[in-house]
Amino acid sequence: MTSLPQGGLAGPPAPAEDAAGWHRLHPLSPLVRAGRHLVTIGVLVLGLLFANHNQAGGDLVVDLVIVGAVLIAGVVSWLVTRWQVAGGVLRIETGLIRRDSRRFPLSQVQAIDVVQTGLARVLGLAELRLRTAGDASGGRLACLRLPDAERLRERLLSMAGARAAAATRGPAPATGAVGPDPPGGPVPGAATGPERVLFRVDSARLAGAIVLSRAGAIAAVVIAAMATVVAMTGEPGTIAPFLPVGFGIVLAVWRQFNGEYGTVVATAPDGLRLRSGLVQTTSETIRPGRVQAVRLVEPLVWRAFGWCRLEVDVAGPRQRRENRAESQRLRALIPVGSRRDAEHMIGELLGTRRRPSRRAARRAAWKAPLLYRFLAWDLDDRHVAATRGRVCRKTTWVPLEKVQSIRWVQGPVQRRLGLATVRLDVAGKRVTASIQDRDAAEAGGILATLPDLARDARTMRGLHRGPAVSGLASES
Amino acid sequence: MPVAESGRPTGTADAGVRWQRPSPRLLLARRIQAGLVTGPAAIASGLVAGVAGSAALGLGIGLGLVVAGLLCERFLARRVAAWGYAERSDDLMVRRGVMIRRQSVIPYGRMQFIDVTAGPVERSLGLATVRMHTAAAASDARIPGLDQAEAAKLRDQLAALGEARAAGL
Repeated sequence: MTSLPQGGLAGPPAPAEDAAGWHRLHPLSPLVRAGRHLVTIGVLVLGLLFANHNQAGGDLVVDLVIVGAVLIAGVVSWLVTRWQVAGGVLRIETGLIRRDSRRFPLSQVQAIDVVQTGLARVLGLAELRLRTAGDASGGRLACLRLPDAERLRERLLSMAGARAAAATRGPAPATGAVGPDPPGGPVPGAATGPERVLFRVDSARLAGAIVLSRAGAIAAVVIAAMATVVAMTGEPGTIAPFLPVGFGIVLAVWRQFNGEYGTVVATAPDGLRLRSGLVQTTSETIRPGRVQAVRLVEPLVWRAFGWCRLEVDVAGPRQRRENRAESQRLRALIPVGSRRDAEHMIGELLGTRRRPSRRAARRAAWKAPLLYRFLAWDLDDRHVAATRGRVCRKTTWVPLEKVQSIRWVQGPVQRRLGLATVRLDVAGKRVTASIQDRDAAEAGGILATLPDLARDARTMRGLHRGPAVSGLASES
Repeated sequence: MPVAESGRPTGTADAGVRWQRPSPRLLLARRIQAGLVTGPAAIASGLVAGVAGSAALGLGIGLGLVVAGLLCERFLARRVAAWGYAERSDDLMVRRGVMIRRQSVIPYGRMQFIDVTAGPVERSLGLATVRMHTAAAASDARIPGLDQAEAAKLRDQLAALGEARAAGL
C-alpha cells in the first residue's frame, strides 16, 4: 500500500531541497492526509460486505475508485506544494489550478504545534501547524519527518523573536529519536533547550474526571438508556436509529480523552511546551507573553474531589470552519489536577497565587441568590482576576496589558440595588473577565482607573521587551 | 463616590469628559425605521384578522399595533438621547442604553479597524454609523447617527490616533 504514492512521484527530480531553498513535504504525506478518509471508507466497505455479502461487488468497485481518486488528488497536491523559510518569513505555495502562495511573517506567529495522527505516528511523520492571530486557518505543513518537524519548529520559534534560542539549538537531534511509537508516551521531547516539567496529568484521574464531567455523564445516561431499552424489549434492532447519536457522543468523550491523555507542561526558553495525546499526539509551544487569559474551572462534582481544570487562551483563529466546537474550547494546561497543581501553575504563569478575594456586596444576593457567594474580583499590579459561576465556578485572570476594551453594564435590577458589572475583553475566543455585581461606586471607580492601569502596563511591557523582532537575519 | 442621578458611573474619569451626542436627526431616522416596521405589520395583520374574523377585530388589532408603535416611539426618544461618546486622551468612551446601561472604554491603541456604514434610512438623512473593532470579539463600540462628514472626520481621527498608539497583541 505504501508503494502507491511513491510510485507516482519517482519521476520528478524532487529530493529534499531545491536550489532556491524550497522544500517539499515528505513523500508519504498524501497517504497520511488521506488516512482519515481511507479509514472511513474502509469501515464503510467492511460494513457493506458484512451487511449484504452477495451484492458487494459493485459497491467495492465504487469505493476503490474513490480511494484511488483521493490518493491521486493527494499526490498531485503533494507535487505542487513547496515551502521555504527566508528573511523571517515562511512561505507555503500550493495549488495546481489556483496557485496559492501564503506568507507567514514569523514575528506574527502566536504558537507552533506539532501534531501526529495515528497513521503518521506509525510512519514517523508529523504535521506542523502555525497559529497566527486573526488568520482564519493558519499555516500547516503536512507532513514532515518528526525530527525535521521538531527541528523546524525550533528554528522558526527562535527566529520568531524568542531569546537566544539559537545558542541552545546545538547539534541536530539524533536520527534515532524517531521511534515511531514510544511506549504510551507523547512525542519525544524536542531535544533542544533545557526543559523544566511543571505538570504531568494522572491518567486514571483524567479518565475519572471525564466520566464525571458533563460529556461523560451524558454518554453514561445515553448508554444506560440504550441498554435498558434493549433489555426490556429484548430486540437490539429497536435502538438502531439512535446508534449514530450514541456513537457521536461516545466519540466526543473519546476525543477528549485522546486529546488530553498524557498532558505534559514544561517551561523552556522559547516558551511553554505542551505535549499530549494517546493516538494522535500534539506538541505545541506557546511563546512567552502570548497568553491572553488564564481560566480556572471548577465544576460542582469535581470540587468534591478537589479537582479543577486550568485553561489558557492564546490569540488564534477565531473559528476554524472544520472544527468549530473544538476550536472554541480553550487549551487545557491542566485537564484535571488538584488545587495545589493549579495554584502552582498559576504561580508559574502569572507570578501570583492568590484567588480573588474582594467579595460582592451582600445585596447582590437579591439579584443572584445562589451566585453571589462566589462573586469576587481582585487586582494586582499586573493582572485582574474575577470569579463567577455557581455550578461551575470559573476564575479568570487577565493580564492588564492584554485588555482590549472595558465595558460597564448596569441592568434595571442592578440599578435598583445600586450595583454594576464591569467586563474586560481580551483577544481570542470570547474570554471575558466579568467583575459582576459590584457596588456602583466601586464599579465606577474600576471603570475610571483600569484604562490607565492597562495603558501603563502596555507601555511598561514595550519598554522591557524592546523591539520584538530579533534574529531575523540568521537566515542565509 | 456618589452615583450620579442619571445612574451613570461616576469617578475621576468623568470629571473632565465632554460627551458628544449623535445628530438630532438620529431620532427621526429611528422613527422612520420604527414606522417602516410597524405600519406594514399593522396593516397586514389587521387585514388578515379582518378577513378571517370580523372587521372589528381586524381594526382593533391594526390600531393596537399602531398604538404599540407609538408607545415604542416614546421609548425611542430616550434611547436616542442616551447615546454619547467622548474622545479622551488615550481612549474613546461610548455610552448607550436606557434599561440596560452600558459604557465602553476602547483604548486607541487597541483599534484594529474602523467601519463607517449607513443603511438606506440613515443615508437618506445624511447620517452614518461609526463602528470600532478590536481584536476581542466581544468589544462593542459603535456610534450611530453621526453626520456623514463628521463620521468621516471621526474615522480619520481615530485611525490616526490608533496608528500612533498601536500596541501589539
